[in-house]
Amino acid sequence: MTDRIRRAFQSIWPEFNHPDNKHLDPYFTFSDYRKIWVVGISVLVAAALVPLLVVTVIHYQLLQKSVDSELILRAERVASNARRAVTFFLEERLNALQFTVNEIDYDQLTDPEHLAEILRNLKLGFGGLTDLSVIAHTGTQAAYAGPFSLEGRDYSNQRWFIECQKRHFYVSEIFRGYRDVPHIIIAVKSFRRDGSFFILRATLDTDGLIQTLASYETGAHAEIFLINRSGIVQTSSKHHGEIFEKMSLPMPAYSLRTQVAMAEDNQVGRKEPLIVGYAYISTQIADTPFILMVIKHKAGMMQVWQQLRSNINWFVGFAILIILVVVILTCSYMVNMLYRADKSKAETMALMEQSNQLATIGQLAAGVAHEINNPLALINETAGYVKDLFVLKEQFHQDDELIGYIDDILDAVERCGTITRQLLGFARKFEVKIQKVKLNEVISDVLVFHNKEAGYRNIKVHVDVPEDMPPVETDRGKLQQILVNLVNNAFQAVDNGCILDIKASPAGADKVRICIGDNGCGMPEENLPKIFEPFFTTKEGNKGTGLGLAITYGLVKKLHGDITVISKVDEGTTFTVTLPTRIQEEISDNEGSTGR
Amino acid sequence: MKRYNLLIVDDEQRFANMLAKRLSLRDCHCDVCYNGQQAIDLVRQKNFFLILLDLHLPDIYGTEVLKQIKVISAMTPVIILTGHGTAEDRRACIQQGAYAFWHKPLVIDELIAVLARIGEMSP
Repeated sequence: MTDRIRRAFQSIWPEFNHPDNKHLDPYFTFSDYRKIWVVGISVLVAAALVPLLVVTVIHYQLLQKSVDSELILRAERVASNARRAVTFFLEERLNALQFTVNEIDYDQLTDPEHLAEILRNLKLGFGGLTDLSVIAHTGTQAAYAGPFSLEGRDYSNQRWFIECQKRHFYVSEIFRGYRDVPHIIIAVKSFRRDGSFFILRATLDTDGLIQTLASYETGAHAEIFLINRSGIVQTSSKHHGEIFEKMSLPMPAYSLRTQVAMAEDNQVGRKEPLIVGYAYISTQIADTPFILMVIKHKAGMMQVWQQLRSNINWFVGFAILIILVVVILTCSYMVNMLYRADKSKAETMALMEQSNQLATIGQLAAGVAHEINNPLALINETAGYVKDLFVLKEQFHQDDELIGYIDDILDAVERCGTITRQLLGFARKFEVKIQKVKLNEVISDVLVFHNKEAGYRNIKVHVDVPEDMPPVETDRGKLQQILVNLVNNAFQAVDNGCILDIKASPAGADKVRICIGDNGCGMPEENLPKIFEPFFTTKEGNKGTGLGLAITYGLVKKLHGDITVISKVDEGTTFTVTLPTRIQEEISDNEGSTGR
Repeated sequence: MKRYNLLIVDDEQRFANMLAKRLSLRDCHCDVCYNGQQAIDLVRQKNFFLILLDLHLPDIYGTEVLKQIKVISAMTPVIILTGHGTAEDRRACIQQGAYAFWHKPLVIDELIAVLARIGEMSP
């Protein structure tokens, strides 16, 4: 289980540069795989996510803009429709009063019955009128028709009277007045025949106006109400102030046209974006104190859009997650593959360098041997001639000491000659001739050379090759040489009366194994890694040149095989040669450079 | 009159001369020359009992010299005596009829033994 978790973790966080691989570092093509991995992931993530995020942001902005302009357009439409309705409502009534004063003279108007008749007709025609009164230029009420008894009142100091006197028309704010009921006063000024003026005043109840406004309210998130020019709410509003209270929003700037703008609700405890549309209400004949307010709560209006936006958010989030997972897995996989390929290359190179050392030493040795042979030959002949002279001349003939010196020189030269010949053999160019070889035949051929010595030294040689052993396709001569060298080596290592074991057996489907073991003196463990190196010898005195096993090693490699050794001091040594049963291709020659 | 008439072909003059001196002590008369062309000319002029031929000659490579000697006098045994012989040289020389292919330094008693053997074979 923990192994599975570890592997899963490795697939997203691969481990590079294991401490065990330190020795391979110089052979790696890239030094920092973690960096490649990080850069790869960053680049891929950036390439995949940046366009996605940019598109998402642009989409958001477009959506926002189109929603805003749509909302503003709608608010504008509602505001201008409502403005027309309110304007019409007031204008219609002002015109009716205007018509009345133009059509009926003062004397008739002050007739209470006639005035009541007119009020009745106006109520029938327009509705919303509560009472009607005629005020003389002194400010006293001359006639009244309506539910209240207000005759004889003096209005001369009231603002509406003064205003109307000045401007001929008047529309009041909504106020409670003497009756404590919200109402509006509208008044028109006219002149009597004697030149003095009088005013016809009507009181409007606000229900009609409120109904007109309410008919334009659309949905729960919009409200329409009136304020006056000092910001006092005139028709009640749900969120922005009760009637006759100060409106919670800032006063809109004066404008002749309908205006719509974005604003923010600044009341304590709520802070939400609003769309505020407004219009200063003004009839053709008179200015009014009203400002029409259309307030839309953006959040509510945008619920559908918010839903869409949250869907997009979920989708984008999910896409980012998928991209991250895919990028990390892919990157880890690719970089890991790269790392593994590079690592196996590094391992191969490290191994090659190791085995190349042997070949290089061999080539160098061959080169040295070439160059030494000629001077050696000259020493040989010169010393030989001196010896000849000594042997021939009576004077030195009896001098065994001098002859002995010369013989020492000649012996030394001969030994050098042997070494150079073997060195040349070690690096010699040779072709591999492949033929079918029966192992038992080769082994008995090799042993023929040693029969005499074995008998003489009482060494027992056991050969164990299975009868059904299939023939091996290899180079007979090289195999013979390998076996001769190893058997020679064993004979030199054992004492008289010891045992030599030669065994052959199949090793897997396409290899054979030949073991040559003795129970001789063995070798200390520290020598084992060096025994295949040229010039390494443990043989005493001048017996060995140190080339036998190096040559054997080279031959085994030429045959695409392997040679290993197991040895214990005083217990014996076993060499194991593993060879392929078939050598597929012609083995190339890499020795040409040392030719001449 | 010495018993064996030999030709030594080697560009290492001191070696060739020294070998000639030693062989002259062993009942041999030696002609010495230091390049291939001289050797071929000498073979045209005289009959030799045996020729010792180096491979690395300054003018003509030993195998070519051997080929020409064999054209002129097919029966004369030629021993190749070289410091730097490769297996390829050995095969080429044996193919062209060299008697033996030896690496320097020479073991003089071996040469004497070979001379004796050739002497026994030829009437």
